[in-house]
Amino acid sequence: MRTTLLALIVTLIALTGCGESGSNGGAPADGQLITYGAISSKVRGMDPMDIGDTTSSAMASNIFDCLYQYHYLKRPYVLIPSLAAEMPTVSEDGLTYTIKLRDDVYFQDDECFTATGGKGRKFVAGDIIYSWKRIADIKNVSKNWWIFDGRIKGFDDFREYTKTVKDKKDVDYSKPVEGLVAVDDHTLQVTLVKPWPQVIYMMSHLPTAAVPREAVEHYGEEFINHPVGTGAYRLKEWRHGSKIVMERNPTYREEFYPSEGEPGDEGKGLLADAGKRLPLIDRIDISVIEEDQPLWLKFVGGDLDVGGIPKDNFDTAISPNRELTPDLQAKGIVLEVYDDAATYWYGFNMEDPVIGKNLPLRQAMNLAIDRQDLLKLFLNNRGTPARGILPPMLAGYDPDVNSPYTVYDPALAKEKVKEAEKVNGGPLPTIVLTMGGTDSTARQMGQWFTRAYEKVGIKLEVDYMDWPSAQEKVKTKSAQMYAMGWVADIPDAENFMQLFYGPNASPGPNNMNYNNPKANELYEKLSVMENSPQRNEVVRQMQQTIVDDLPCVLTVHRVVFLLHYDWLHNYKPHIFGYGLGKYRNIDAELRRQRVGR
Amino acid sequence: MFSYIIRRLLYTPLIVVGVLLVTFLLFRVVQGDVSAEYAGRSASAENIAEIRKELGFDKPLFINTEAVSERGVLAVFDSQFFHHFKNAVTFDFGRARMSKQKVTTLLARGAIPSLSLTVPMFLGMLCTAIPIALFVAYHRGGPLDTSVVIVCVMGMSLPMLATIMFGQYFLAHQMGWFPVFGYEPGFAGAKFFVLPALLGMLAGLGRDVRFYRTVMLDEIKADYIRTAYAKGLSSPRVLFGHLLKNAMIPIISSVVLAIPFLFLGSLLLERFFGIPGLGYLMIEAIGSRDFQIINALTFIISVLFVLGNLATDVCYALVDPRVSLN
Repeated sequence: MRTTLLALIVTLIALTGCGESGSNGGAPADGQLITYGAISSKVRGMDPMDIGDTTSSAMASNIFDCLYQYHYLKRPYVLIPSLAAEMPTVSEDGLTYTIKLRDDVYFQDDECFTATGGKGRKFVAGDIIYSWKRIADIKNVSKNWWIFDGRIKGFDDFREYTKTVKDKKDVDYSKPVEGLVAVDDHTLQVTLVKPWPQVIYMMSHLPTAAVPREAVEHYGEEFINHPVGTGAYRLKEWRHGSKIVMERNPTYREEFYPSEGEPGDEGKGLLADAGKRLPLIDRIDISVIEEDQPLWLKFVGGDLDVGGIPKDNFDTAISPNRELTPDLQAKGIVLEVYDDAATYWYGFNMEDPVIGKNLPLRQAMNLAIDRQDLLKLFLNNRGTPARGILPPMLAGYDPDVNSPYTVYDPALAKEKVKEAEKVNGGPLPTIVLTMGGTDSTARQMGQWFTRAYEKVGIKLEVDYMDWPSAQEKVKTKSAQMYAMGWVADIPDAENFMQLFYGPNASPGPNNMNYNNPKANELYEKLSVMENSPQRNEVVRQMQQTIVDDLPCVLTVHRVVFLLHYDWLHNYKPHIFGYGLGKYRNIDAELRRQRVGR
Repeated sequence: MFSYIIRRLLYTPLIVVGVLLVTFLLFRVVQGDVSAEYAGRSASAENIAEIRKELGFDKPLFINTEAVSERGVLAVFDSQFFHHFKNAVTFDFGRARMSKQKVTTLLARGAIPSLSLTVPMFLGMLCTAIPIALFVAYHRGGPLDTSVVIVCVMGMSLPMLATIMFGQYFLAHQMGWFPVFGYEPGFAGAKFFVLPALLGMLAGLGRDVRFYRTVMLDEIKADYIRTAYAKGLSSPRVLFGHLLKNAMIPIISSVVLAIPFLFLGSLLLERFFGIPGLGYLMIEAIGSRDFQIINALTFIISVLFVLGNLATDVCYALVDPRVSLN
């Protein structure tokens, strides 16, 4: 799951590195292919059950596998088997998923496998059941129970049972769950409470990855620091807050680089390694670099294979016609530009007596926002104005779903303010915006919004606080207006639409407490439908209903600008996929020529 | 002196309890609980309530009167504060809220990098600032003194962030004299500390020289200095044998009280140079309301601070016979 806030946190998940520290951790053997990477926030832990942030997911997904994974090259995004041998067989009523598993998958060798002298044992269906039960076990306080909450037959009962157990170690994981059955070692059957077509995406979501019980029991609470999975890489070294080194898993199953992608991939050289056994690189060397300046200096110095562009360096990297500057091109740097699966907004608490019942006010507050200026000032124009709920890259996005009030029109906004005052029965009180950030960007943004509303006659007061405090205000329905956004977890419109479903009101994911019976009915319909043109139509109707009600000020959809050197091969941006290190390749000779490393 | 030390040590628990209470009030009472964050962003209301119960945030803050009838009189202590208090005094700081890493491990892991940066920086500053201050105080009023004061004021006016960014860009990236970024444990990693330590010294030198110079000037005007010169003592003898010893009290105050904070590292230097110390850990913990980490750090710092104060008093008595601890 990816955490977001409007301050547009850039968590760079890239394969980069640093020369000085790259030479630590044991000198690489001759001929080893190493990719150097950097992450801009610390890895919190590598236990899939408890992972809830992008950085940790990106690292751990090289070590763990789920039942399914995204095809690396195909767009739109499609799922393919990973630990599963094939796509699931779904019963006619859409409730039972029968999944055949591969029989050539082994856990990475580790001292936890005492019975085999440290040799990793074979992966079986029971491992998935065990791993999912860990999420359900309340004693583990997993932040990922929302995935299964109310979805799988008998699973909620198992969670209830764990509440009755006093001590964590006494939880009986052999207790059967009706909807989770290992038919045999290589067949898993999942029975749902009601149809949930998105379950397949959850089976590719890192928290549902297979972990071996031996490792959890051997390392106990320290399993977060000793990940043992079935993935293409295993953890070699982890200097917390500083460096992570992963090396090729020698017992990784037979998996090959894809032989087909989308049109144009061949021309970009993305199929040059087609059919080659994965992983292609021997070692992944990741440094933690939290500040923009050192991250940028390391990248332009050639110590990193991939890098983002910090806001302050954007003009030195990108020319006015949105191309890479000649200086960087001459260094062999390549620019990748792609849409992020995100929509940012300033949400209204629809239960607030001033805002919730005053549609003209919400319209005025949308009309007062110059989204182009916002993009220019805060994002170096890296984005597009948001007029609908879904981001453009997501299936179900329809540019015709919009509102006449999500454009910049201060004159009309002033008229709407007058209407709003009538609805309010007098002058409008000061609106309080809860800003989850106290840094300079948050304050600049607060000032920008205050000024924008002042121009049309709306008084805005910005209440700056740390992110958890802001979240608590939102979750307790005590924020009148708040800065937030949503980055899709899966390539499915339901992931966004759940945020506008009445019964999901705070502290559930519907933070705006938006509750429109028509939208609720449409959500209930689409959430059990398979992907189809009919479903897209329902999504369209629900979006339009929401946009007509404007429970938020829609601001922007982000566009990501990413740089990498030409010696890094097979780099294709992927919004949802993690654990992509296995597809990457390095032209070590070219790197040596360019930067002498 | 021994009885004084014992008496002061006996105050320590009271001070620490006070600190624990303030920390608890600030982070539990004022800022509320964090169950929603634990539960994940798509969690239902029921799920959040379950987590709240599991974490004990549903318990009363100070006194659990409801539990008395069911579980006896001792159950009155089954409250959030008493659990917090018990954990602190038994050094059971638990696991960090966000990372679930053991807090004691996090502190041990961060203390060495932080101290590896701050101790050389601190000693380097002392060894540089005191001689410079002594020198300019001796030449007080002259062009050298004026120049040093101007440079010091300029140094103090320059934000530390600017010093760091300039140093990293120019000295490391452009000139290649130092590594831009990185960390390695052990002596092999010493090269990564040189530039951040130098920049830290540079950023703080102006302030320290000015402070020590003022202290020296106060002393240099004293009668006993004139007397010493009148008796025909040499300048080095006067400066090092008489002046420095008498100037030590304010210097000791500032130095000893700064020692506990060395443990906390330097937020900016650690972030910019990739030193995995405690400076950033503390700021991150405050930002994410990771109460376990904040609790441990405030507890340790408060104990060190109290001990530091005691050490200061003892040092006074050692350097100045006029000070009596009785």
